[in-house]
Amino acid sequence: MKNFRIASVAALSIALTAGASLAADYPDRTINMIIPYGPGGATDISARTLAEPLGKVVPEALVMVNRTGAGGATGSVSVKHASADGYTMLFARVGSHTVNPAMKDTLPYTLDDFRFVGVYEINPVACAVRSDSDIDSLDELASKVQAEPGSVTYSSSGVGALQHIASAMVLKSFGVEKPLEQAVHLPMKGGGAAATAVLSGTATFICTNSAELASFVANGQFKPLMVTTTEPVAGFDAPSAASLGHPELEQLVGWTGVAGPKDLPDDIAAKWGEWLAAATADAGFREKMEARGSVIELMSPEDSAAFIQKQYEVFRALVDELGMRISG
Amino acid sequence: MTLFDNLVTGAAIFTDPQALLALVIGIAVGTVAGAIPGLSATMAVALTLPFTFALEPMTGILLLLGVYKGGIFGGSIPAILIKTPGTPASSATVLDGYPMAEKGEAGRALTMALYASCTADLFSNLALILAAGWLASFALSFGPPEFFTLILFSLTIIAGVSGDSLLKGLVSAVLGLLLATVGLDLVYGTNRFNFGDPNLMGGLNFIAVLIGLFAIPEILAMVADPHGNDGNVRGLGDNRVSFAEYRRCFKSIIRGSAIGAFLGSIPGIGAAPSAFLSYSEARRTSPNKANFGKGEIEGVAAAEAGNNGVAGATLIPLLALGVPGDVVTAIIIGAFMIHGLQPGPLMFVTNADIVYGLFVGLILSSFALFFIGGAAIRVFRYVADIPRGVLFPLVLVLCVYGCYAVNNSMFDVGVMFAIGWLGFLMMRYGVPAAPFLIAFILGPLLEDNFRQSMLMSGGSPEILFRSPITWVFWGLTAITATAIAMAGLKAMSRAPAPAESRD
Repeated sequence: MKNFRIASVAALSIALTAGASLAADYPDRTINMIIPYGPGGATDISARTLAEPLGKVVPEALVMVNRTGAGGATGSVSVKHASADGYTMLFARVGSHTVNPAMKDTLPYTLDDFRFVGVYEINPVACAVRSDSDIDSLDELASKVQAEPGSVTYSSSGVGALQHIASAMVLKSFGVEKPLEQAVHLPMKGGGAAATAVLSGTATFICTNSAELASFVANGQFKPLMVTTTEPVAGFDAPSAASLGHPELEQLVGWTGVAGPKDLPDDIAAKWGEWLAAATADAGFREKMEARGSVIELMSPEDSAAFIQKQYEVFRALVDELGMRISG
Repeated sequence: MTLFDNLVTGAAIFTDPQALLALVIGIAVGTVAGAIPGLSATMAVALTLPFTFALEPMTGILLLLGVYKGGIFGGSIPAILIKTPGTPASSATVLDGYPMAEKGEAGRALTMALYASCTADLFSNLALILAAGWLASFALSFGPPEFFTLILFSLTIIAGVSGDSLLKGLVSAVLGLLLATVGLDLVYGTNRFNFGDPNLMGGLNFIAVLIGLFAIPEILAMVADPHGNDGNVRGLGDNRVSFAEYRRCFKSIIRGSAIGAFLGSIPGIGAAPSAFLSYSEARRTSPNKANFGKGEIEGVAAAEAGNNGVAGATLIPLLALGVPGDVVTAIIIGAFMIHGLQPGPLMFVTNADIVYGLFVGLILSSFALFFIGGAAIRVFRYVADIPRGVLFPLVLVLCVYGCYAVNNSMFDVGVMFAIGWLGFLMMRYGVPAAPFLIAFILGPLLEDNFRQSMLMSGGSPEILFRSPITWVFWGLTAITATAIAMAGLKAMSRAPAPAESRD
C-alpha cells in the first residue's frame, strides 16, 4: 500500500513536471488551427491571411484545418473536446461564438468551453437596400415595416448567422416592436446568396459585414443606409449608428479571434497574445485585411473575453426579448 | 470601342509571359489536384489563393482560374479509372466512364473526356464573352420560386439514369432524399436526425457520400468475389478517339455545353446537376440509348461537356454582377478584392483592360487544357494496367485518406464506409446509385427554395406560378413526366424485361 502511495506520488510529480515543461517548451510540434467554416469563406480567408505573418513568429509549423458544418458548430466542438495543450486552436467568429450561443439552446458548447487568446479583426456591419429602392433611410424602412407588415424581407446566410440577428436588432432599435412578425426573414445558403437575394429583389434589405457589400456599393448596385462603427467605412456614404441616435448598435460588429479549450494554461495564452501582437503588426497583413474592409484591432486575452461576453449578453437579451430562442 | 478592339487591348496583357505561365501552371496543378479523390477543385483553389497575394492581379486570377478548370477536368480521371469521382462534378462521368475502363477502353474514355471538356470549356468562355450581360440579367430573374421549378424539372433526370427499372431508381432517389434531410433545418435552425451527435449537425459530408456510393461497393464486391471479374480484360487499350466518333458525340457535347453555360450563369446550382442533366438529355435522344450506363462513349462526352460548360459561365454572375455563383467564384471574388478590384458592372468601365485580358486568358485556357490534359492522360492511364488485386487495396487507402482530408474527421470516414455498405447492398439488388446522388444533391435545394418561396408569399402556393420562367419549367416537367409514364406503360405492355445482370 505504502509502495503504491509512493509510486502514485512519484507518478503525479512526474506528470506535474511534464506539464510544466510542456508549457515551457511550447510549442515543440506542429499546431493545428481549426477553421470552423469552409474554404473561401470570410473566416477562412482571414485565417489564412493571418497564417502568413503568424507562421513567421510561431517557431513550429501551423496546420490550417477546415472543419466545416452547422454554422461553425462542428469545428468549434472539436476544439472544445481537444486537450488543452495549445496544439489545437480555433478561429472563432461572431457567428459561431456569440450569435449561435445566444440563439441556440441545443448548441453542444457554450462560451465557457473556450479560452480566448485574442480578437484580431473587427468587421463593421452595414445595412443596404438595392439602389433603385424607394427606401432612403432606416427610418423609412422601419415605417414601411410598420405600415405594411409582411411587405419587407431581409436575407441572411442562415439561421443563427450575424445577418439574422443584425437585421432584427436594427429594426428593433428603429422602433419596430415585433421585427420577427412584421418583417420576413429569408434564410439563404451562405453570404453570397444572401446578398444576391437583395440584388435580385427577392429580399428588401440586408445587414452584414461591410466587406460583403463593398463591391455592390462601389458598383452602384446597393444603397448603404447605415454603418455600425463610429468611424466612417471607406466607400460607404452612409451615416453611423451613433449619429442616427442609436449608439447601442455599435455592439453590432463582426469579429474573428483565436481561442483554445477552456483549460488552456496561462503561459500558453500569454504566448499567443505575444504572437498575435507580432503577427498583426505586419504591414502586409494589415494592408490585405484593410483592402477587404476589416479593421485590424488586437485585443488582449482578457479584453477579448470581456468583449465577446458583452456582445453575447446583448444578443442574448435581444433574443429573449424577441423570442428568437431555438430550442429544438 | 467594339468588342474586338477590346479583346485586342486585352491580348496585350500576354506580352507578359508571367500571366501565361500562371495559367499553364494553374491548369497543371488543378488537373493533378482534381485527380486526387477528396481534394476537390474547390479546395485546390482555396489552397492556391494565398500564393496569388504577391502576384499581379491579372496573373493571380488567371492562376486561380487555371486551377479551377484543371480541377474540373482532372476529376474525370479517377472517375473513369477507379470509379471514384475526383470532384463532385465528375460523378456523372462515372456512369459510362468506369464501364468503359472495365471493358479495356480506359484510354478512349479519358481522351473523349478531354475532347468534350475542352470543347465545352471553349463554348462556355464564348458564352461569357458574347452574352454575359444578357445571361446575367436573366439569371437575376431567378428567385426562389423559379429555382424551385427548375430543380423540380431537374429531378426528372432520375428517370434517365435509373437503368432498367424506374421503380428501383425511385427507391434509390428516396434513400438519397432521406439522407439529405440530416442536419440543421434551414428555416428554424433546429436539429434534424442528428441523434444528439454534433458530428451530424452539419449533415452528411458530401464527399464521404460520393466516395462511399461509388468506390467502396466496387471494393466490397471484389472482396466478396475475388475472381468474379477475371474474365474481363481490364487494360489501357487504344486511347485514340476517331474524328467520326467525336462527330457522332458532337451534338451531345454542344447540348451539354449549352446546358452548362445556362446553369453556370445562374448562381447557386453548380456543375454536378449540369453534368447529370446533360447526360440524361444525351441518353434520351441518342440512337445508342440502350448502351448508356454500359460503357457508351457518348455518355462520357455528355457528362464532361455538362460539367466543363459551367466553368466559364460561373464567371458571368461574378463579372457582370459581382455575385459569386459558387464557392470557387467566392474565392476568386476574394482575390479581386485583395487587389482592390471590385467585380461588377462598373469593372467593365474602370478596369476594362483586366476584364478583357481575362477573356483572352480564358480562351487560351481551353487550348492549354487540351495539351496539359493530354499529357496528364498519358501519365495517369497506366493506372488502368494495374491488376485489380493491387489496384483495389490502393484505391481503398486513397479513399480513406481523401475522405479524411476533406474535414480532417474520422467520422466522415465512418460515413463513407456506412454509405459504402448501403451502396454495396444497392448494387447487389440492382438499385442504381446515380438517382441516390442526384436526389442527395437536388433534394436540399428543392426544399430550401420551396420554403423560401413560402416565406416570401406568406404560405400561398400561387407564388410558384408567378413568372413566365416558372410556367416554362412547370410545362417541361409535365411533358417529361408524361413521356416517362408513356414509356413505362409501353414497356409494361411488352414482355417483361429479362432480369438484369451485372457485368
